[in-house]
Amino acid sequence: MNDRDNPARSGGPTGNAPRYSGWIGRLAGSSAYRFSIGMLAQSRAGRLAMLLAVPLLWIVVFHIGPIFQLARISFLQQFPIPAGSSGAYTWANYQIFFADSVYFVPFVRSLIFSACVTLAALVIVYPVAYYVAKVVDPRRRTKALLLLLVPFWAGELIRTFSVIMLLANRGAANVLMRELGLIDRPIPLLYNYFSLSFGVLYLIALFMLLPLYAAIEKIPSHLVDAAADLGAGPLTRFRRIILPLSKDGIVSGCSLVFLTCVGVFASPLLLGGPGTVIFPEIISAFFHGASDKWPVGAAFSMIMLVAALAIAGLFMRIVGGSRSTRFM
Amino acid sequence: MSNKSFLFADAPRTMLTGFYWAFVIYLLGPLLLMFAMSFKDATFIAFPISNWTLDWYAKVVQDQQFLSAFVYSLFIAFATTCFATIIGVWISMLISAEGIWGKALLFALACLPAVVPGMISAISLRIFVSVLDMQTGTAAIIMGHTVHAVPFVVIMVLTRLRTMPANLVDAARDLGADSFIAFCRVTLPFLGPALVGGMIFCALTSIDDFVRTFFLGGYRPTLPMLIFAKVQGGMSPEINAMATLVVIVTAAVGLYAERLTRRSRIS
Repeated sequence: MNDRDNPARSGGPTGNAPRYSGWIGRLAGSSAYRFSIGMLAQSRAGRLAMLLAVPLLWIVVFHIGPIFQLARISFLQQFPIPAGSSGAYTWANYQIFFADSVYFVPFVRSLIFSACVTLAALVIVYPVAYYVAKVVDPRRRTKALLLLLVPFWAGELIRTFSVIMLLANRGAANVLMRELGLIDRPIPLLYNYFSLSFGVLYLIALFMLLPLYAAIEKIPSHLVDAAADLGAGPLTRFRRIILPLSKDGIVSGCSLVFLTCVGVFASPLLLGGPGTVIFPEIISAFFHGASDKWPVGAAFSMIMLVAALAIAGLFMRIVGGSRSTRFM
Repeated sequence: MSNKSFLFADAPRTMLTGFYWAFVIYLLGPLLLMFAMSFKDATFIAFPISNWTLDWYAKVVQDQQFLSAFVYSLFIAFATTCFATIIGVWISMLISAEGIWGKALLFALACLPAVVPGMISAISLRIFVSVLDMQTGTAAIIMGHTVHAVPFVVIMVLTRLRTMPANLVDAARDLGADSFIAFCRVTLPFLGPALVGGMIFCALTSIDDFVRTFFLGGYRPTLPMLIFAKVQGGMSPEINAMATLVVIVTAAVGLYAERLTRRSRIS
């Protein structure tokens, strides 16, 4: 049955090749095709080359390349390397980071901020994901999910801008509170940690929602019913069945959100103030203007990248435990 | 088995419903405020709104800067989507092929750009561009966006391919198609709507992207760059109208893409 070398194919380019109708037939029948892709597809080595070439090239050049260059430049004394000298490698750029608390404090602040936002997102989004996956009428489930998805297509900047609308001194929140007589004059909601975390949470909630929803939806209802029949109360059922079975969703959701939080850029620029300087702003300052400070910026980026990936990886290892936890 | 008995009795159920709607308000509220503000008849942004007008929309539609940024963003999104789809599908074919060694590693490397935090990815691309002696500008932006989009195409195509019976391609090849023809006639149509949905999402993420464009862009602003510049340089109500138009278009396109991917998931 699986005769892969049937006569139609092993007949060579000039053999009695099969005929197709339509554009694909004209393509397959053309001599240009038969002597290019057709030839390659005839032989096993050709097929393998066709399959391997572009993906491997792309992954090596564009997926590994930039990160590798980032790492390389972080060890350079000067960038671009001055003509006539071979670039000398040094640890000095990394030492700058540890020498001054001006850099160290925003770094720690950034990690703590990301961890807090991740935790907040988990606590807030879990009930929502649970509601959409299990409580809502199945016929309306898609609509309930779409209602949550639509705002996320609006884009990072537009959503950040709309948060400014809400929280500004003469924004909706302050005006509403004043109308209700709760406050006499506007309270500063913008340009502090409140606005920053509000805005970032607004940006990343989707990355928590989708993995959680996918995980909770897969939990078979009869497991929970069985637990209920055996006398488990709502809390026990949640703790012993639903929480452990949605662990995959929690792990991938938290990792995604954490990694995204670490790399936020527009929100701190627009929603943060002088008191909320987090690490991405520090890094980007090295890349404005001339390129002589790039190696330091690259070193800082490497520290950030390694720290973020290590924390996410450790979290996956500790909480996830199993090898089944992936980003899919 | 009914869902009613799933976890809670009725009281917590109402609580969950309330929580869901509170979350919907949290997500939609700021956008609706922006929407309302775009009709305000005044030259500064502040609540409450007493007079209403459509002037801002008339301004936006005639604004050359906006139109040029919009067209530029569309062009970049189109190019990004074409490249990302071709490369993403190609990588997925390699990962899903039989007898390929190191699939887990390949998959991890293919997804690498998706887990690198946005800011660091943008900086590494900026360095990469200057190592290659490229200019910042259109080509650099398209490259950056494509690198970012490929992992999502790969994940989506692999998810869809997993539901495809392997013997479909075998059958085509037994009937005499070479592997390229079998790919064109069997695999691609099977990916069909899911692929189109994924392509639309690629385009949407490219139009949304700010941080990569910020570091890789040249002098001509894309849509997010233009909005960023306007937000930083004093708030004009024009931004509201501009953003509202963008939201309506992206939401409509996004809903359509969602329908495409969902329909293909059922079939």
